Amino acid sequence: MSNRLLLAGLAWIVAVATFGLAGCGSQQEHGSELFDLHCADCHEMPNPDLKKQPPKLEGLFRSKTLPSGAPATDDQVRKTILEGVGTMPAFDGRLSEADVHNLISYLHTLK
Amino acid sequence: MRWWKTIGLVLAAFFAGCQSQTKQYSLRGQVMAKDEAASEFTVKHDDIPGFMAAMTMPYKVKDPQAIKDVQPGDKITADVISVRGGQEYWLQSVRITDQSGRQTAKPAVKHALNVGDVAPDIPMVNQDGKQIHFSDFRGKSVLITFVYTRCPVPAFCPRLSSQFARIHEDLAKTPADYEKTHLLTISFDPKYDTAPILRKYGLAYLDNHAEGFGHWDFASSDPGDMRRIADAFGLEYFEGDNQISHSMDIVLLTPEGKIAKYWSTEWTAAELETALRQQAQSSNQHQGTRG
Repeated sequence: MSNRLLLAGLAWIVAVATFGLAGCGSQQEHGSELFDLHCADCHEMPNPDLKKQPPKLEGLFRSKTLPSGAPATDDQVRKTILEGVGTMPAFDGRLSEADVHNLISYLHTLK
Repeated sequence: MRWWKTIGLVLAAFFAGCQSQTKQYSLRGQVMAKDEAASEFTVKHDDIPGFMAAMTMPYKVKDPQAIKDVQPGDKITADVISVRGGQEYWLQSVRITDQSGRQTAKPAVKHALNVGDVAPDIPMVNQDGKQIHFSDFRGKSVLITFVYTRCPVPAFCPRLSSQFARIHEDLAKTPADYEKTHLLTISFDPKYDTAPILRKYGLAYLDNHAEGFGHWDFASSDPGDMRRIADAFGLEYFEGDNQISHSMDIVLLTPEGKIAKYWSTEWTAAELETALRQQAQSSNQHQGTRG
């Protein structure tokens, strides 16, 4: 009986871990798609026509501060995405709360 | 070992291809005008998901045979090729689907006001919350463009504002021209682009030098007045899901408030700056002659 319980418990843990990771992957995958759609054109492409070259976002969360000098926290990045900063446009109204969450999840993967 | 090298090369090529970010979209529409010298069609097209809402706008065409074969009024399908994040785009694989409209096509962009007409005195509110009119700038040559601050397409509004910033900085080096010229950026998005938003946006392009607003205003008007401005200058814009598709237009006004010139796609900051300076200087000369 205890073995059965142990097996059931292990199966549950494996299932949760598997689905949990899959969910995490899809969040980041969606974040990656959003990044390509909304961010990459400026942050990944040097554009001599722009007044200021937007910074690359690799390692964004490795530093203590964002390129703007604000703390490199999820809340600050969320604020930056929604309100814009400097010449970066605001995405308020164009991204849902889930979109912003997934985008930030993806930004965390950029090492 | 060779097998792994081959796989590596294929993967490298695949990822290199991804990084070039060439995007392709399907276009369906009617050619409203053709400029053979500029290799350009102006196309009134359906919605192009992921690239552009339904609107009328010019596209470069690289196939000389297509430029020769297609006539204004033809309905076409084509691929829009967009590279470097939309910094460059053109039509490819153009196919005529219907020639019956060849005789009925009319010019795509009609400016209600012609060169020489006086700009309408429609009220706007600037970045300081102050009401302004085109007539407030009499005595100065005025370069006007149209953007919205949330525009995320680097080849559109960010480019226009960046180039205006360069013109502003250059003019500041020549006080005589600086005093006789003015820049005006008008928003397509009056609901979002209120005075505080316009101020924040303007400061970003003025390197936080607020005194620059004395030479470069950022303004919006109420939605009805914005339509009147658009109709006067022949602007096209369509509000979508929190995004605005719009034509890229620049207008130069004489110191008397008359329209001196229009630009749409083919311009450089240097060309605009030269035209603005020349307009101001020629007006100074006229004043000198009269005086």
